[in-house]
Amino acid sequence: MSSGTNENRPDDLTTPRRFAVPDLTKPTQSWTLTWDADWVTSVAFIGGTRKVAAGNNRGGILVWDLPEKPGGDAPKPTLRLDGHTNCVSKLASTPDSKTLLSASYDHTVRLWDTAAATTGEEKLVLNAMAIADAERRKNNGAKVPPPMPATVSVVKASEVFDAHKEWVVNLDLTRDGQTVISGDDGGHVIIWDRATKAVQKRWQVKGWAYALALSPDKKQACVGERYPLVFDSGRHAAIKLWNATTGEATTDLSAEFKGMHMAAAAYSLDGKVLAVGRGGESDGPSGIVTLLDPSNGKKIKALAPGHISGLTDIAFHPDGKHLASAGRDTVVRVWEVASGKLVSELGKSRGGQFKDWVHAVSWSTDGAWLAAADMAGSVQMWHFPN
Amino acid sequence: MNPICRVGEHLSRRAFLKGAAVTGSGLILPNWGGLAHAKSAAEGATKAKKRCILLWMNGGASQIDTFDMKPGRPTGGPFRPIQSKVTGLQVCEYLPKVAAVADKLAVIRSMQTHSPDHPDGIYHMHTCYKMSERTPHPELGAVIAKFNGDQASDLPTFVRMGSCGNAGSGYLGPAHEPFGLGRDGKLGSFSTPYLADDAEKKRAELFRFVESEFAADHKAEPFESHRTAKERAWRLLRAKTVFDISKEWPAAKERYGDSEFGRGCLMARKLVEAGVPFVEVGQENYDSHADNFVCHKANMQLLDPAYSGLLTDLAERGLLQDTLVVWMGEVGRTPGINNRAGRDHFIRAWTIVLAGGGVKGGQIYGSTDADGKDVKENPVSEGDLFATIYKALGINHRAKHLSGVRPVWLTPEGSQPLQELLG
Amino acid sequence: MRRVRTLAIATGILASLLCELRQARAAEDTVRQFIDTELKAGWQKKGITPAPRSPDAEFLRRVYLDLVGTVPTYDETVAFLSDKEPKKREKLIDKLLAEPRFARHQADVWDLVLFGRHPGNIDATRKRDGFKVWLTKQFADGVAYDQLVRELLQGEQPGSELFQVQFRNQPEEATIAVSRIFLGTQLGCAKCHDHPYDKWTQKDFYGMAGFFVRIVVEEATAGNVKTYTIAEKASGEVLFSGAAKDQQPGKKGEPVKPRFLGGTDLAEPPTPKDVKEPAPKAGTKLPKPPFSRKQKLADWVTSTDNPFFAKAVANRVWAQFMGRGIVHPIDDFQSENVPSHPALLTALAERLTAKKFDLKWLIREIVNSEAYQLAGSGAVTDALPKSFERARVRPLIAEEIVLSLRTATAFDLGSKPDEKSLNPDDYFLRHFGEPTNGQGDFQGSLSEHLFWNNAEQVRVFARRKKGNLTDQLLTSTDPWEKRVDRLFLTLLNRPAKPNEIAKFVEFLKSDPKPDARVEDAVWVLLTSSEFRFNH
Repeated sequence: MSSGTNENRPDDLTTPRRFAVPDLTKPTQSWTLTWDADWVTSVAFIGGTRKVAAGNNRGGILVWDLPEKPGGDAPKPTLRLDGHTNCVSKLASTPDSKTLLSASYDHTVRLWDTAAATTGEEKLVLNAMAIADAERRKNNGAKVPPPMPATVSVVKASEVFDAHKEWVVNLDLTRDGQTVISGDDGGHVIIWDRATKAVQKRWQVKGWAYALALSPDKKQACVGERYPLVFDSGRHAAIKLWNATTGEATTDLSAEFKGMHMAAAAYSLDGKVLAVGRGGESDGPSGIVTLLDPSNGKKIKALAPGHISGLTDIAFHPDGKHLASAGRDTVVRVWEVASGKLVSELGKSRGGQFKDWVHAVSWSTDGAWLAAADMAGSVQMWHFPN
Repeated sequence: MNPICRVGEHLSRRAFLKGAAVTGSGLILPNWGGLAHAKSAAEGATKAKKRCILLWMNGGASQIDTFDMKPGRPTGGPFRPIQSKVTGLQVCEYLPKVAAVADKLAVIRSMQTHSPDHPDGIYHMHTCYKMSERTPHPELGAVIAKFNGDQASDLPTFVRMGSCGNAGSGYLGPAHEPFGLGRDGKLGSFSTPYLADDAEKKRAELFRFVESEFAADHKAEPFESHRTAKERAWRLLRAKTVFDISKEWPAAKERYGDSEFGRGCLMARKLVEAGVPFVEVGQENYDSHADNFVCHKANMQLLDPAYSGLLTDLAERGLLQDTLVVWMGEVGRTPGINNRAGRDHFIRAWTIVLAGGGVKGGQIYGSTDADGKDVKENPVSEGDLFATIYKALGINHRAKHLSGVRPVWLTPEGSQPLQELLG
Repeated sequence: MRRVRTLAIATGILASLLCELRQARAAEDTVRQFIDTELKAGWQKKGITPAPRSPDAEFLRRVYLDLVGTVPTYDETVAFLSDKEPKKREKLIDKLLAEPRFARHQADVWDLVLFGRHPGNIDATRKRDGFKVWLTKQFADGVAYDQLVRELLQGEQPGSELFQVQFRNQPEEATIAVSRIFLGTQLGCAKCHDHPYDKWTQKDFYGMAGFFVRIVVEEATAGNVKTYTIAEKASGEVLFSGAAKDQQPGKKGEPVKPRFLGGTDLAEPPTPKDVKEPAPKAGTKLPKPPFSRKQKLADWVTSTDNPFFAKAVANRVWAQFMGRGIVHPIDDFQSENVPSHPALLTALAERLTAKKFDLKWLIREIVNSEAYQLAGSGAVTDALPKSFERARVRPLIAEEIVLSLRTATAFDLGSKPDEKSLNPDDYFLRHFGEPTNGQGDFQGSLSEHLFWNNAEQVRVFARRKKGNLTDQLLTSTDPWEKRVDRLFLTLLNRPAKPNEIAKFVEFLKSDPKPDARVEDAVWVLLTSSEFRFNH
């Protein structure tokens, strides 16, 4: 099953896909997709297309059409999805590329028809902030950069999932694109049907629901909780495995990760490995990915080194054998799951004592591209050669 | 000769003893096993005096995320404003209950202060003087304890819980020192006698015998002060059931919110009701250099019911008119959001809120510019704030003391009470 | 009106004549006699009847605490009280002054003078063991006070550097503290504006600051032990930019020449224009500058010509034993704050200078005076009576409390405690470290009494332990009456009065198992005001 040599049937979505595996040891950065209106907080490839979507701290979503080959000028965004009024915390696409899901602090999850009709065009300056900033500091000799204009078509229509009453902070979509798990700052975890938006199960955890993942067979959910008080006995951090059908906790891993806030969780494609990553402003390189056996919660391996000042996102590679982690140190790391070995490092820690973050990462379905949402106001596009 | 700087004028300890209405024999009547509250001549006088509760936002709360919101601005952050009960006053969406009692609040949006860090800011915002001066200035609580407290009371006159001030009673001396309770309201160190009640009583009786023998021909004040304090300690131990709020808590939990800070606020209400002139309750976790918004969101969820619950409770009991509730921390937080999703310390334009104690509610004092980066009108200094607080409490903000031989005033020269805030 | 003034003038002339007369006599009298003459003159003038001479027991406890920092033991008490020798007080004083405990206690007292409980640069000055060792040795060796001060200002002997370390990078603080402690002069006001009622101006303040501005505290770390060295740069000036209220951001000041307080500018070779300070390197020490301001200041402060130095210390030592200063507060010499006994102060200062600043000599004279040995009882309520008509009442300092608790309860019987455990720990410092308000008036506090009442740290002295006082009383087969007398002699250094004996016997007998009762009786006397103060 996991040999990787069998042909994938179209309906087999959990078996790792067979394709020419790119050389993950040789990342190159192809483009920086600038969008500095605010922090870019989420990113997702849209199905198997060359489209990539990114959301920002203010609720904006842009879509870029990427060239097939690396090199040349950075592409400009072509589409803007209008609807959210607050930070877009997570983006996910169905495998058929027809629907993009976005979770937001505005309490909603929106579902976008990627083929929807547009309602007009708008002009943007992708580096407006950098220009304004330089204008302010002109007297001190700051050089004002040339504007980077773009024209985008605007989509205003979307369906709204409105069962949350608080910031929706995370969301996971099963690989068949059918079932969603979403969680909010009130601790509400909801499992729902993507097509009908019908709630299948909901429960509430003690803290706020942060890390979220639903197993490929949809039977298990992993929820990382926190209540972010620092010097107070009211502070709380927990990570538990839940029976997604009954909404009952089955395994409490909190003791293993005492006091640690888990920011991200992801199941491998075959569901045999659960990766969780420590977030928050932890000290030093302790933003570590830990691999667990979801059947019993036992620890398999810890992937070192961790991200300085905390991890933000984990994404399994479509070959099923690798995963990428991103953190508050502007570094993306690619790991081999079986050995736990670090395969490559994308980017460097930048800045002074404190770094910008990479908020989120997404793999293209052919596994040759990785998009990283950069707090500094861009999407970094990385390419791996065949 | 400058009349402001004379040596030799000072409020002597004798004056304090007179105020304490100590009986001529030097021994306060023992009321071991008696009622919690002393009946004394001073009681009537101090009952009329106003009290103060300081809600201390340790680390420095963000003004933009609470009472001076900047929606739609780059500095605004992810919180959204809601309309409060008062026209023109919007507050954070996570303070809905506070919004509902906004008619009691006087929001000062134009604090402009001078100590940007924690130890110095904590000192400065508790004393209205710079820490670097090295004069041992007393905290707000000690000043109020001295002027509005009843030294003959069974209860301490300056009580605090959680992370609070760092200056203590300074030149006002140990008589006005803070009495610390745990964050959970538990009594601090050495408040549990190791003797059983009857043994304690017998021992105390022998002590009183020894003291009365000695007092017969030793009249110096320090001896008297020693035994007076001993009696106070004993009365406090007897009265300490006041600090037990376990009975009230189940009913009050809903109003105040089930948190340590909520319990602290209920305790504060109970203590001012029992005549304690000053109670400070610290709320932690505001120093959000990273993850400002999750920190503040969590904090406001505790603050909202506790703060609004306290104001409502005081009002219902008719205590709010005589109880000034101050909401402040040592600094505000930067309008700019840093790359740790945090806000740093900010002293150029930030917010403090007063309520009750005769302060006119439902008003905003001062304002900041569109992004909250500077004060637009009516800047308020530490001294002005303290002068306002003292005036509201009926204390002369220019009252003079001596520290060593140096004359010192409760507020720095030039401090002015903000008349508009006082009803 | 005029008549009154004439009379006043006449009285003044008379007084000054008398004063001169007495001064002439002072040359022949011992200082202790002169003290009594002067104080008596004051009492006569004001119609004050002083307290009687102290009983032996009272004197005994007082002089022990003042000289060696602890109450006497039971044996010491009994030996002294039963001694029939007429000069036994004088002999006891000589004995105590010769003890190592004297040096140790004076070091405790002066450590508090020099640092207070909250010194600057607290990380470096919190633990002062090395400094205390040095200071104790100065008193043990009988080092003259001027030499002691010179070394404090220079900071060149191991241990002595800590005094300057507390002012690291704060020449203004050094200016205020040095002027106050050694010269009895308050310059604090003149930091920000010209002194409102004294003659001191900001120029005086910054002139003094010029002596400290070049001082560098060098720090070296070996393992986790930090050591400090006091060095001095060859250049650097105080910049003065006017009154604090006139300050503007970016306003640069004018360099101010160092000037001795109330005296002349420092004569100093011009600093070469191209002077290059060696860059401070870890592990290497700054070379001595060709011209040392620090040394010039030390010379001037301790000089016999210094108009402030001798009077300031004479007044300070007087107050240490007599309560009030002759100038009071002791560190506020200025025109408006006149001495209560000017001739006495002058005589003390002159004789001390003539005795080459031998503090032990001065102390011996003071505690041998009749005035020091007056009773502490009576109707006067002042802690520090203005005319010294009754012994002063002062709270024991934390150091004395710890030593006295140990001594009185025979806590260390049979074992020699290590030197460090004799120092107050954090608990004792917190509860007894600062018992006074900003004026030096004692204030009983809740926290102190909760500590007395409930702390294991206190109880440990009263609870029965093999060989300690409680154990001795419980194992004794003497009648309770005798045991109570012993209890009082041990803890309060006086015999119990008959009604005290009756009351205590009743208390102790009230329980068939007397352990708890004896413990409580010990506790009662330890926490009594009679124990809490020196009186």
